[in-house]
Amino acid sequence: MTLREPAWRVTARELEGSLEEERGEGERAASYLLSPFGARMNRVLVTGTISPAEPIGRDESQPFWRARLTDPTGAVAVTAGSFQPRAMTQLRSSTAPRPAIVVGKVHLYRGRDGVGYVSVRAEGVRFVSESEERGVLGEIVRQTLDRLDLVERLVAEPTTPDDRLVAEGSPRAWVRAARDSLGRYPSVDRAAFRRELRAAVRRVGGDSGPVAASVAPPATVTVTRSPPPRAPPPPPSPAEREEESVFLDQLDEIAEVSVDGYADLKELLSRVAVRGLVSDRAEAVLNRLEEEGIVEEPIVGKLRRA
Amino acid sequence: MATPEAPRALPEVRLRDLQLTVSPVELVARVVMFERREVTRRSDGSRRPLVSGLLSDGTASVRFTWWDPPREGIERGVVLRAVGAEVREFRGRPEVTFTWRTRVGPASPAELPRVDGEDIPFRSVKDLVAPSEGFRLEVRVVRVAPRPVTVGEERRIVYEGLVADRTGAIALSSWSDFGLASGEAVRLAGAYVRSFRGRAQLVLDDRASVLRIEGTDLPDPAELLRSAPVPIARVEDNGGGEAVAVEGLVVGLLPPSGLVYRCPTCQRSVKNGLCRIHGQVEGQPDLRARIVLDDGTGALTVNAGRPDTERLGGLTLEEARRRLREQPDPSWIEAEILERLLGSRLRVRGSGTRDDFGVTITPESIERVEVDLEATAEELAVRLGEDRR
Repeated sequence: MTLREPAWRVTARELEGSLEEERGEGERAASYLLSPFGARMNRVLVTGTISPAEPIGRDESQPFWRARLTDPTGAVAVTAGSFQPRAMTQLRSSTAPRPAIVVGKVHLYRGRDGVGYVSVRAEGVRFVSESEERGVLGEIVRQTLDRLDLVERLVAEPTTPDDRLVAEGSPRAWVRAARDSLGRYPSVDRAAFRRELRAAVRRVGGDSGPVAASVAPPATVTVTRSPPPRAPPPPPSPAEREEESVFLDQLDEIAEVSVDGYADLKELLSRVAVRGLVSDRAEAVLNRLEEEGIVEEPIVGKLRRA
Repeated sequence: MATPEAPRALPEVRLRDLQLTVSPVELVARVVMFERREVTRRSDGSRRPLVSGLLSDGTASVRFTWWDPPREGIERGVVLRAVGAEVREFRGRPEVTFTWRTRVGPASPAELPRVDGEDIPFRSVKDLVAPSEGFRLEVRVVRVAPRPVTVGEERRIVYEGLVADRTGAIALSSWSDFGLASGEAVRLAGAYVRSFRGRAQLVLDDRASVLRIEGTDLPDPAELLRSAPVPIARVEDNGGGEAVAVEGLVVGLLPPSGLVYRCPTCQRSVKNGLCRIHGQVEGQPDLRARIVLDDGTGALTVNAGRPDTERLGGLTLEEARRRLREQPDPSWIEAEILERLLGSRLRVRGSGTRDDFGVTITPESIERVEVDLEATAEELAVRLGEDRR
């Protein structure tokens, strides 16, 4: 049985700090991004001001657009391609920064030095009034605080049985997320994160006007991992382009002779490994190509040119 | 059905008291359901008919097998007396078998054991799962209304509604008029639970008994219909429910939403001019929205009918059809409804069922909810202030 993944209410700051992935195994398994603050996300709901979108990717027939969503705690990239036609139309329609609600799937792209970039592949985008944005932000902060309380409860009483927490009202998925999150981020500074949420609460109350383009994190923030940079990933270097072409050549060769026209991911990875592109690097290249809309994986483990 | 040397002085037993060591037995029970089958004899390949199904006498339900049954006279609901039925066990539960030695004949419902006795255990609504019977129940009638139905050739009135105790609520379907009224507290005996369209339903028929009681510890019906929304994760865990209230944000629409065509006879949606049941029909246009509501703990589908869809989507069916003349591709209708709804906060009440894809709610009411921003900001500031360290 596959239940629909709920949309985790998260701030941009929480997404920026999320660097741990849980890869699903088997056919059609979902992947999750674990946050330091008790979220285990496949789908998210975020709100903030969206900047006008810009096209990325080179292929005219496979448009892919990216915009930045800024809330009082940080910013995150929001993308949409031809597989999300309505969300893409919405992103493209905007010519000036406007408040919006976005529902979408989280993606973690890990760059060369292991630095992660989180983006939201939009399934739905709606531009909203400022009061609607504030209402949704209020819910995001409330659920974020609920999750933080749960994580801290588990720090204080790690042996509390899940069933008791569920009986007390915590969704089972949240309990699992809180435990996973504590395991993966053992020494994260939650107090500092709570302080950062104050700006969001002020925004809910309407005290601060439109959100500044970007809010620098206070100096007190300590993250156990390298802090994610706020800029979108830089364009690939010539060396990376070289890797991409090795990757694409092999993909084409496999796809040419395969029965279904797809290149099998395992075979592709083993072929490029022989050519010096080992698993981590190959994954990075694949992510980049997918992100740019050059390669797609319509079936798990099967690749083709987009 | 007759046999020359019928066993005599058999113990007449209640189905609840069946034991493997006491066999054969005499019993009186109602046929709850049955099917006719044939098995092939291994010896000569000939086919031997049998009827199998479920018998009930109000104290319990057991499976039965009837070898070489008569061609006629077996119907759902008919009461049988079986003398010399054999008791066997299958997967740890007793069953009865009617063989050539068993005398089976029709009996009157009055011969069924009385089930309003003091020895029947009380149950809570939350423990009622289909199929079950042989229990007493104290509940509040939340609502009840007569509805004419056609059963085969016969026209009957069924009294449908909702009853509840402190542990939950269950749909009610009464085939006899007990004069039930909303707000009453009643003690029920002789009712049974069946599964109807995936939901447990409490059924009363003419052998059930209804006793008015004080019911001071039963919930107030108004309170039930106004109950606060619960997390969707809990609704998912409970597998839906009769009186579900949830609140969340609209995160999408599922197909088919927007303009649909329905069979004029059965209201099923029509695909390519074909109804699943009635074949080629002239589909009647209708508006609907299958709303995906998500509260951060889980997500469910709300099947909004035309009035709710028109009100929430800001588009009437007439207007949609008029504009279809200029914009013939109907997909804009769904897009427009979604554009009005995405991210909106809705509170939904209704009954929920669960299948492999999650919970679906058939709504009784859908309301937009306004957020009190000042109060929210204050509440959150207090929560953050407490954590100042």
